Amino acid sequence: MNLWPVIKLSWKNVWRNPMRSGVVIVAVVLGTLAGIFSTGLMNGLSMQYIRNQLETSVAHIQLHHEKFNEESLPRYYIAAPDSLSAELELYEFVESKSSRSVVQGLASSATNTFGVTIKGIDVKEDSTVSTIHTYITEGNYLEDPSRNPVLIGSKLAQRLKVDLRSRMVLNFQDVEGHITAGAFRVAGIFDSPNSAFDEANVFVRRNDLNRLLGGENLVHEIVLLVDNFKNGDIYRDSLAQNFAGVEIQSWGDVSPSLRYTDSNVDFMLYIFMTIIAIALTFGIINTMLMAVLERTQELGMLMAIGVNKVRTFSMVMFETLFLTLVGVPVGMALSWLALTWVGKVGIDLSAFADGLEEYGLSPMIYPELPEGYYLNIGLLMLFFTLMAAIYPSVKALKLNPVQAIRKV
Amino acid sequence: MAIIQVQNITKIYNHEQVPVHALNGVSMEIEEGEFTAIVGPSGSGKTTLLNVIGGLDNPTEGKVLIQNTEMFSLSERKLIDFRLHHIGFVFQAYNLIPVLTAKENISFILQMQGRPQKECNERSMELLKMVGLEDKIDKRPSELSGGQQQRVAVARALASKPDFVLADEPTANLDSVSTANLLDMMLRLNEEEQITFVFSTHDQRVVERARRVVTLVDGKIATDEVRTENNIEH
Repeated sequence: MNLWPVIKLSWKNVWRNPMRSGVVIVAVVLGTLAGIFSTGLMNGLSMQYIRNQLETSVAHIQLHHEKFNEESLPRYYIAAPDSLSAELELYEFVESKSSRSVVQGLASSATNTFGVTIKGIDVKEDSTVSTIHTYITEGNYLEDPSRNPVLIGSKLAQRLKVDLRSRMVLNFQDVEGHITAGAFRVAGIFDSPNSAFDEANVFVRRNDLNRLLGGENLVHEIVLLVDNFKNGDIYRDSLAQNFAGVEIQSWGDVSPSLRYTDSNVDFMLYIFMTIIAIALTFGIINTMLMAVLERTQELGMLMAIGVNKVRTFSMVMFETLFLTLVGVPVGMALSWLALTWVGKVGIDLSAFADGLEEYGLSPMIYPELPEGYYLNIGLLMLFFTLMAAIYPSVKALKLNPVQAIRKV
Repeated sequence: MAIIQVQNITKIYNHEQVPVHALNGVSMEIEEGEFTAIVGPSGSGKTTLLNVIGGLDNPTEGKVLIQNTEMFSLSERKLIDFRLHHIGFVFQAYNLIPVLTAKENISFILQMQGRPQKECNERSMELLKMVGLEDKIDKRPSELSGGQQQRVAVARALASKPDFVLADEPTANLDSVSTANLLDMMLRLNEEEQITFVFSTHDQRVVERARRVVTLVDGKIATDEVRTENNIEH
């Protein structure tokens, strides 16, 4: 069936009432813009949360002694960590790595005591897997040549009521299971977007910690950053085939809540976009219904002279399609511009920094949206607008030509 | 040969659950090349008869044969297609498509029939010339007078070279000059192109120039007068 004359007529009908079509197109543009931008904002928030967690504490892949995750005891260190580390470097997807000694202990000041995870790091190596050094607000990143410097979070500093250069004591078990302690001096204070992390973690030099633990080259944890964190599970499986005797976990294994957040981002975004599209649908139903009802006589005439039902239905559908095809790309282009710009300059929510940091979020939000979403959201909008056109199209089909022609 | 055969047509409407006999056993035949006026007082069934002949309204009883095809035995889809190819319609309120130009209004029908664009253009131009509107090809209906719009409507009705043209009170909205011009044109097309016109009218000026006048009263044919050259007013 030749639909071309109907398509041409539909296009002209769109511009029959430029004001009304303009309003619908603007609504589609704004709906698309609002939807995509909000989706970008939500996606940016989620991605930022995930990245903050990965870059400050979890990394992409972690290797431990097989029993370390059951009981975080110092005696469960990785055997031959240097050769393991060297072998890991052979994998192309491994971008950086860091070997840490890790122990659970108590941090005590003159006034308070708090349970913490003590991480012994090689400063240079760890800065390739963690961004914690970028959040240092006072002091330095364990670069103090003096003995036993410690880097602590601002939240912990508040709890312990310590300042830069204050002394504090770290108590923990050594590899023999004996309680040991070391006096440390606060060399730096960091304030990451994750206040819970700031409160519960301290960083010391690995050599300093190992000396107290009773071993020279103790490594409890090797953390890796890979080329794409989304492939964490695939790379974990790949490594697991070649490294027996160590437990290898992807970031999702280490933090199921992060995995859940990541896997549900898409779902949440599409739910959100669908709600916007449904709201828009009602506007389109209203407009197209008006367009049909005010053209009753004309539609009756078309049916009388031989425009069949398929063509009549198609005509109304194409009119809606054209409104969408004009509105959606413009909305997508504007969203892209807005997201690109705001994605660079960010949205400053410093006023809510405390609240955001409780949730592991930075006060600067950078909206972002992978390009694939634009197409999917465009198709989603198209789908809903076409759904919106069905009712007016069916209404047009039900017209009786004889009655319609006489309608004034 | 009769191109339209109306056989014992009855049309009953249910108006507020009261049956109204719009047509009551109407039978007539219309030959090719006739110029027939259906006349009668309001409510006599003129428009209903045209709608039934045009396949727009199903009769309660009876048959309509167009070129020996029984219209109401066709499926709905085929009936619409039949109208597209065999019947030209002219409406009282012109009913042109407002977003299309005069030429586009005519070629729309041809495009619907799947004719090549070149043929659509040539035929549209030919018809606009035939109705004396060759200088208005790119004008939209809103830029034309009522008489000009109705002439475009006639051209559109003729576009597909239909078996006949049905016109429901084509001059009802026209002034006397436009009415005379339209009638002249229709008569010329009837005489020169042998186009069959069947139209309903109240207008005595139109009735006077018809070749055949069928008068309906209360849904029945009261008189059916075929005129000779001597009793037609020119």
